[in-house]
Amino acid sequence: MTTLALIYKFLIQILPAIQITLIISVASIILGGLLGAALTRAKLSSHWWWRAIANVYISVIRATPAIIMIFVVYYGLPFLIKGWFHVSIEGWNRMYFVVIALTLLFSAPVAEIFRSAYLAVPAGQKEAALMVGMSPWQAFIRITLPQTFVIALPNLANAIINLLKEGALTFTIGVVDMVAKAQMIVANNSGGFAFETYGALALIYWVISLAIDKLVSLVESSFQKKRQAIQP
Amino acid sequence: MLTIKNLTKSYGPQQILKGIDFQVNQGDVITLIGPSGSGKTTLLRTITTLEKGDGGTIDFAGVQGELAHLSKNDIRTIRQNVGFVFQNYNLFNNKTTLQNVTEGLVVAHKIPKAQAKTIALAALKKVGMADYVAHYPSQLSGGQAQRVGIARAIALKPQVIFFDEPTSALDPELVGEVLKVMRQLAEEGATMVVITHQMNFARNVANKVVFMADGQVVEAGSPADIFDHPQVPRTQQFLAEILSNV
Repeated sequence: MTTLALIYKFLIQILPAIQITLIISVASIILGGLLGAALTRAKLSSHWWWRAIANVYISVIRATPAIIMIFVVYYGLPFLIKGWFHVSIEGWNRMYFVVIALTLLFSAPVAEIFRSAYLAVPAGQKEAALMVGMSPWQAFIRITLPQTFVIALPNLANAIINLLKEGALTFTIGVVDMVAKAQMIVANNSGGFAFETYGALALIYWVISLAIDKLVSLVESSFQKKRQAIQP
Repeated sequence: MLTIKNLTKSYGPQQILKGIDFQVNQGDVITLIGPSGSGKTTLLRTITTLEKGDGGTIDFAGVQGELAHLSKNDIRTIRQNVGFVFQNYNLFNNKTTLQNVTEGLVVAHKIPKAQAKTIALAALKKVGMADYVAHYPSQLSGGQAQRVGIARAIALKPQVIFFDEPTSALDPELVGEVLKVMRQLAEEGATMVVITHQMNFARNVANKVVFMADGQVVEAGSPADIFDHPQVPRTQQFLAEILSNV
């Protein structure tokens, strides 16, 4: 078999596990995004203690390598939960631990992205909304938030691709994702065809990243043309 | 209709407004003139609750109270009864021209969408922007954007419309189209308070001119009083400087 044919063969074998990767990624993006939004709120709070809590959290999370975060959550969390609530979570599906770890990891950069995007929306937008009689919450939901989102998009895409790559460490606690599948294939071949196997895996990651990039730039250009800020 | 008494406001150690009394009657067109830094914009922003006053009282739209201690409801009531036209337009960047006008009607004033659209189209027609309903702010010129800004304010049928230097950000050739709309509003009897450096507008359209300097109202009166017979030296000096530049 040629190298290409082998890569294709392994690709087909690895691909079914993509759903594990996707489930973990999507769950972490949603939960991490929400946590990130809450952190943004804390960082923009007028109370210094909220800002302090958010800053310490973000600096700690940012400094933690993904693999360490996954191990800390996997080995540490059941310990803590048992100590505090006397509940055993050791039997949980291991995917939950990965999702928790990745949610924590994702929330920190997302909080920074949201914060800078929010501050980039001119203050006059909110003021104009208040002056047509909207409540602060209505002004946020209808006027400021949609503009924040558009500004945040490119950086958000980067963060999502990062998360996807960090998710490749899922196999380290025994979840059978694409990486674990690739390792099994190599093991079954007694260590042979490792290049072709991991090459197939890299190809899959590349295509997913490409798809995210493409999707974001499509969304972006549909907003950008009409929604860019007006230059007085 | 709107009465402000003894309004004070500071930013840090610097006092911007030093006890302003300000009265607007139904149908008034008041222009606020004065050197930059005199507190004109801060006065407008404090009356409309965009800024919080430190001291002083307001009596407007059924709200009577101290500006420093207005309840959320009071603030909402005041905001729903004023219109505000900003120097740099502040059109909602994520909304079309039509949506810019309907947004406040539908979301804040709970007017049904179809009715809001009718009101908005009438307002846009009045300012000559009915052909641009589907445009986004970034596709409009400054003069067009400001006219939409005015349509957004008048559609809400506010008791008073405040204009914060509505033509200052415009290219000179676009100033006329905006002033024309404002003149038309004044003729139709709208109550307006206008900060402007357009002395012709102040002289010819307003029924009252208020000259501010250093956080105080220095002199107020009819345009003829202020422009032809200013009593206070500070006013005379300001007008001499302004008019010599024309």
